[in-house]
Amino acid sequence: MNSRIDRIILVIFLGITAALAFLPNFVESEYLLRLITVVIFWIGIAGCWNMMSGYTGYIDFGPVVYFGIGSYVVAIAMTKYGIPFFPSLLLSGIMSSLVAFLVGIPTLRLRGAYFAIATFAFAEAMKQITLEFDRTFSVSFFQGSDGITLPISGHDNSFFFYCVLPVTFLVVLAHYFIEHSKFGYGLKAIKEAETAAEISGVNTTANKLGAYVSSAFFLGLFGAIEAYWITYITPSDVFNVQKTVQMVIMTLLGGMGTFLGPVVGATFLTLISEALGARFVEYYLIMIGGIIIVAILIMPNGIIGSLKIRKKFRFI
Amino acid sequence: MTGLECRKVSMKFGALAAVQMVSFSLNPGEILGMIGPNGAGKTTLLNCVIGIHKPTSGKIFLNQIDITGMKPHKICRMGLAKTSQIMEPFMAMTVFENVLVGALHGGRMRMRPATEQTEKVIELVGLKEYASKLSGSIPVPARRRLELARALASGANILLLDENMAGLNPHEIDEALEILKKIRNSGKSLIVIEHIMRVVMGISDRIIVLNYGSKIAEGFPEEVVNYETVIKAYLGDKLSSLKVA
Repeated sequence: MNSRIDRIILVIFLGITAALAFLPNFVESEYLLRLITVVIFWIGIAGCWNMMSGYTGYIDFGPVVYFGIGSYVVAIAMTKYGIPFFPSLLLSGIMSSLVAFLVGIPTLRLRGAYFAIATFAFAEAMKQITLEFDRTFSVSFFQGSDGITLPISGHDNSFFFYCVLPVTFLVVLAHYFIEHSKFGYGLKAIKEAETAAEISGVNTTANKLGAYVSSAFFLGLFGAIEAYWITYITPSDVFNVQKTVQMVIMTLLGGMGTFLGPVVGATFLTLISEALGARFVEYYLIMIGGIIIVAILIMPNGIIGSLKIRKKFRFI
Repeated sequence: MTGLECRKVSMKFGALAAVQMVSFSLNPGEILGMIGPNGAGKTTLLNCVIGIHKPTSGKIFLNQIDITGMKPHKICRMGLAKTSQIMEPFMAMTVFENVLVGALHGGRMRMRPATEQTEKVIELVGLKEYASKLSGSIPVPARRRLELARALASGANILLLDENMAGLNPHEIDEALEILKKIRNSGKSLIVIEHIMRVVMGISDRIIVLNYGSKIAEGFPEEVVNYETVIKAYLGDKLSSLKVA
């Protein structure tokens, strides 16, 4: 156990986060600040997926549903009930985790591809429900495909930077604690051999549910922040399966079930799409596809995962 | 009376009765050998005991508490741990971490005492040299011992060993027997399923014999091997007259 190396990485991580907190004071360019915010945003979201799927090995193919629920809760709370942003934000997280709890109980009994299909189906179902609910019941609640326009915040980019940074910080920090805790060892045991974990005393249901619910809580927060940032949401935007795919790819690229995986993967993918997107507007998606394929071929366990194996170096 | 008791346990998979009306008890500090031909229902019976299967009928008591149909992790935390015949280490984790899972979750310990417990258990079963190796990369005898260590780390008072010595050579078997004796001397009771007669005969206080899911004999080791029914179960009708055992 290289807990010393882990501690050094933690200190570096805390240092970088502290340094980032002062960033808006120095960065002149709004574009750069926004780009950095987006990177941090995706690190957090990919981290949410990793928290559940990376550690337990249960491939969640519908995490976007909790993102979407977060968006809708904040939108409805703010527009229909006039609740200010921060209480609404908290409400989003709580609602997302509550739904995750109820959905998790039946779906986490499924294993392998069946779990992936069930979560995917649930995400699609939620999209359809928000789309059709108002028309079916003749009410005006989710506002279907018209979407909801949130109150214009009037906040600048640094406000959202400071919204995203602490949440991502908590997500990454949660990874560190998962790595070194009883809970985390339980999750990793479930990933390796679930029955063996159960007979070794791991309460598999409670552990899986714990990971699923915490992942949903943070996704709800991110969904809420994005809704307030963009100020206009529709079901097909916030429940878009592309978000799920992006979380999965970022984590796989960085390394599943590792502390730094989502950080590296999300940074790499966001920056590279930004760099290529500006220069090769028409072809950049093809190029990114190629890069992902090559990266996965060379490093099947992701950047961090492969480093860990090649160097026989055990760190988070 | 403390210990483990099975009362008329049956387990049916569809029309197949894997275990039929088996009753037995395990006293504290005792080593109970369990033998029987392949497919006799030994593993299924133990899986019922630790909660992997819910028996179709019958009751199982641990320290006089009814544990029939409880979840495996609860049963493990109550002090009943099993090693698996099919070795299932947590491959991507080190040997140390494997055992740690048993101590943390099975033993319901906090990180520090669990680490100490793990070190002790690894020392006891002689896995020290492998402690920091990935469990997927260690040889079979070490994996067998790892299974044992994981069960021990949970602090269970009763250990169920399902062919924990399969595939070991005579020298390794001797080492494993030494470990089992140490475990018994620390006050734990064991149920040992084994095909290697030298092991079962040498270590068991009592033996029960299963065939086609039913208990066909029970007694002291030297008695049991001379029972007509047992010889028949192992050697068939024709040869039983030879009384090989």
